[in-house]
Amino acid sequence: MNGNGVVLGVSLLAWTLLFLYLVRLERRVKELEKR
Amino acid sequence: MALRLLLWLVIAGGLAAGFAWAPLVPVLGATTHVLYLHVPAAFVAFIALGWSMLHSVLYLARRDMRHDDHAAGAAELGILFCVVATISGSLWAKAQWGSYWNWDPRETSIFFVLLIYAAYLALRGALEDGPRRARLSALYSVLAFVTAPFLFFVVPRLYASLHPSPILPSREQGSMDPRIRVCFDAMLVGFTGLFFWMLNLRVRLGALARRHAEVELEPPDSAVAAAGRGTR
Repeated sequence: MNGNGVVLGVSLLAWTLLFLYLVRLERRVKELEKR
Repeated sequence: MALRLLLWLVIAGGLAAGFAWAPLVPVLGATTHVLYLHVPAAFVAFIALGWSMLHSVLYLARRDMRHDDHAAGAAELGILFCVVATISGSLWAKAQWGSYWNWDPRETSIFFVLLIYAAYLALRGALEDGPRRARLSALYSVLAFVTAPFLFFVVPRLYASLHPSPILPSREQGSMDPRIRVCFDAMLVGFTGLFFWMLNLRVRLGALARRHAEVELEPPDSAVAAAGRGTR
């Protein structure tokens, strides 16, 4: 895999992890708002 | 959730297409890819700081703490996106100019923007949560944003800069490769959506924190206190 592929892979991984973190955080916030 | 997934798709698709499908800008070579991150981050940073100023004005007019949450959250995210733009710009500068930092007018401008808004965070950190902090922060945010258009747009054009402003032609010129345009627009839309999503979470967390603080400060239940008096 060339350098561009590595950078793209790392970028997609970072974005996916941030996305999952935000989804999880949103769920937690919803739970707290219901209490 | 569908909107969230669409946002994931827009950014992931924009990135993938930018790397695999869109052509490179001839003078930039492989560093073209940095632009898909750098320019949207700088764009959203400016939107965020403007949003902070707008809600600061609204707070001063209406004294509603939700506007303070919006102003603070937008400023924090504005700094975050500014840092992303600065780091990505630095990496690009290393590849193009041979050095991470050159005190180019645009680099110096963004450095001052970061300093000004770091002082905003310091101000908020130094004051206790409440109307006084909200009022002073709102005043500071309005004054700080007066400098932002000057630092973002005027200073870099006043002095000779190495920064490549005309490399990506404007829409009016119409000569940007349509594939680059599609990726670029997808990233702009995606980053804007990401900013508003993060801001929404930050505002809701701020409201929760305030509610939590109010519950903690509440005096003991009056019924319990009354019952205590009755047994004496």
